[in-house]
Amino acid sequence: MENLTLLMAGFSNALTLQNLLFALIGVLLGTAVGVLPGIGPAMTVALLLPLTYALDVTGSLIMFAGIYYGGMYGGSTTSILLNTPGESSSVVTALEGNKMAKAGRGAQALATAAIGSFVAGTLATGALVFVAPFIVSIAIGLGAPSYFAMMVFAFVAVSAVLGSSRIRGLASLFIGLTIGLVGLDGTTGQARLTFGQPLLSGGIDVVVIAVALFAVGEALWIAAHLRHGTPPTIPVGVPWMGKDDWKRSWKPWLRGTVIGFPFGAIPAGGAEIPTFLSYVTEKKLSKHPEQFGHGAIEGVAGPEAANNASAAGTLVPLLTLGLPTTATAAVMIAAFNQFGIPPGPMLFQNEPVLVWTLIASLFIGNTMLLALNLPLAPLWAKLLRIPRPYLYAGILFFATLGAYAAGLQAFNIGILLLLGALGYMARRFGFPVLPIIVGAILGPEMERQLRRALQISAGDPAALLSEPLAVVVYTVIVLFLAGPPIVKALLRRFGRGGPTDGPRAGGGTDDTDGYRADESTVEFDAFGTQTSDGSARVIRVVRPTQGRRGK
Amino acid sequence: MTAPSTVPASGLRGRLQGRSELGVAALLAVIAIVIAVDTANIRHTAINVGVMGPRVVPTIIAIGLGLCAIALTISVLRGGHAEAEDGEDIDLTQKAHWPTVFGLGGLILVFALTMDFLGFVIGSALLFYGSALLLGSRRFVWALLIGILLAVGTFYGFVLGLGINLPAGLLTGIL
Repeated sequence: MENLTLLMAGFSNALTLQNLLFALIGVLLGTAVGVLPGIGPAMTVALLLPLTYALDVTGSLIMFAGIYYGGMYGGSTTSILLNTPGESSSVVTALEGNKMAKAGRGAQALATAAIGSFVAGTLATGALVFVAPFIVSIAIGLGAPSYFAMMVFAFVAVSAVLGSSRIRGLASLFIGLTIGLVGLDGTTGQARLTFGQPLLSGGIDVVVIAVALFAVGEALWIAAHLRHGTPPTIPVGVPWMGKDDWKRSWKPWLRGTVIGFPFGAIPAGGAEIPTFLSYVTEKKLSKHPEQFGHGAIEGVAGPEAANNASAAGTLVPLLTLGLPTTATAAVMIAAFNQFGIPPGPMLFQNEPVLVWTLIASLFIGNTMLLALNLPLAPLWAKLLRIPRPYLYAGILFFATLGAYAAGLQAFNIGILLLLGALGYMARRFGFPVLPIIVGAILGPEMERQLRRALQISAGDPAALLSEPLAVVVYTVIVLFLAGPPIVKALLRRFGRGGPTDGPRAGGGTDDTDGYRADESTVEFDAFGTQTSDGSARVIRVVRPTQGRRGK
Repeated sequence: MTAPSTVPASGLRGRLQGRSELGVAALLAVIAIVIAVDTANIRHTAINVGVMGPRVVPTIIAIGLGLCAIALTISVLRGGHAEAEDGEDIDLTQKAHWPTVFGLGGLILVFALTMDFLGFVIGSALLFYGSALLLGSRRFVWALLIGILLAVGTFYGFVLGLGINLPAGLLTGIL
């Protein structure tokens, strides 16, 4: 019950006028920027990172929590009203949501998404209150070998498991680690990859990295392929739901929450798998399976709930272990690092007031979002009609501003441009962005843990296996890496009777390693897509391979 | 196998057709070499005794990148590719419009180089204006107006609101 006492203290702290204002600003900014096409939650948080240079810790973290949740609400609005989703996590929402909007049920789709997000977000944050202290109590006793193992796990998860192409995922990871390498080595003080440039000796500012990869890379990529004319948006009124919609929605909300939270909480998160699982579950359980593909409300309610629950779940490894598993979480870590309070078990020990105020503000922000988004939805929908030249010029404007404000060095804008070009290249060739940012942020920390582990044993690598948790984690990694190829080989061997109930994702969003699929007409195929938030998604579908190959 | 839709040209050229990703593999290899050279030049000082040296991690990264470069080359030559990223405003049926991309990159570079002389307000207003025009805006006056408002508003927001002093440059004394 100590949790609840602490949470109450957090509430009393979060409910001050100033902190409520920060929450409100965060929620509004997050939703507005999230609704804007081409901007996902990760870019939203990255672009707003410079605010941390001047605001106080509690206030800006409360604001970032609001931006985080708000950005996701905004994203679901975009994916329902425009066909192509802005974030990988709202791909599944778009499947049914956009069909509903086209059939004139946009108001109901937005309502079930907003209320479902609220329900899931609140329940999952409640789960966070109980799970986080438990994990902290375990993590506090862990040594460097376990931490190192968990970081390796996070690296493997984001680069080799989540994406479609392991080679590209790993290449991204190593590029990220390279970026993290730049600067003076923390322990020995030796300069690495600074090329004699004193401005590089402090390393590349995380804000610059995040803004370059998510904002500049994305803006340049879109600029290269800018669609002529804005895609048609569907006009929508104030969201509401009839009795029947409520009846069909409440169970998917709860199921989505149950599916989403654990997926976010394990440090191999991402909202792609749970949203898809929720979609499949709802389709199986629905009394109207024939409506799926034509705008079934369960297909919006479940995945949206799963999406938000997994977002709250992501905060568990983020706050308790300092492990980011989504692009947005990676950028959030950057925000923490700006203040010199790296997330991890010590955070709960050293800054209990801050942590619990932040958690309380998640509840408050969620409630604000519900209250704001139902009446304001028509207004948000107008944002979709913003002229694109201004939108992307604005993104570049704020990106350069953010990079410059990090240290007030024009030199940083040069780095921004360089890493922006890297982001462009990643998008062009289907390299996931998430491993780059995770590698850049966690790389130095990983080296520190590795050093600590080896120091105890005077350099004997066996020390890395000296803790039971580390051994377990390495076993899981091996299973993760070896599992899918074995399953694939078995499927190949015993006929290719894969599940046949996958949705067809929106046209042209696939990302396949061509050499994997070549012979048959129907292929059990894994594909993922890079989106603006950088995380790859894995969706298993059955689709004809002919006609999509060799364009 | 993925057959390129274009008629296969003969020889090396034909093999390289549509394989621009090999350039990425080459880049990975170059980065690996740069890291390796840089790491080899790290001096081994007395402080390093007893702890893992500063060379271990860069060496691992260089090897990893090198292996990725090789694996990627093989994969690409065997016809592997990943689909480019799609999005709301992206039309992948059109080819990349390089003038826009390089124009925007050039604008950012000019902005960085002239920051101290022009100051933030003039520079960023021009950056916005130029970018909007490059991206296809034809409302010449409106775009400039928005750029100026954005730049001035941000300048005062940062200076007065956040206490971050952006350079005033040419407008020192006026702003």
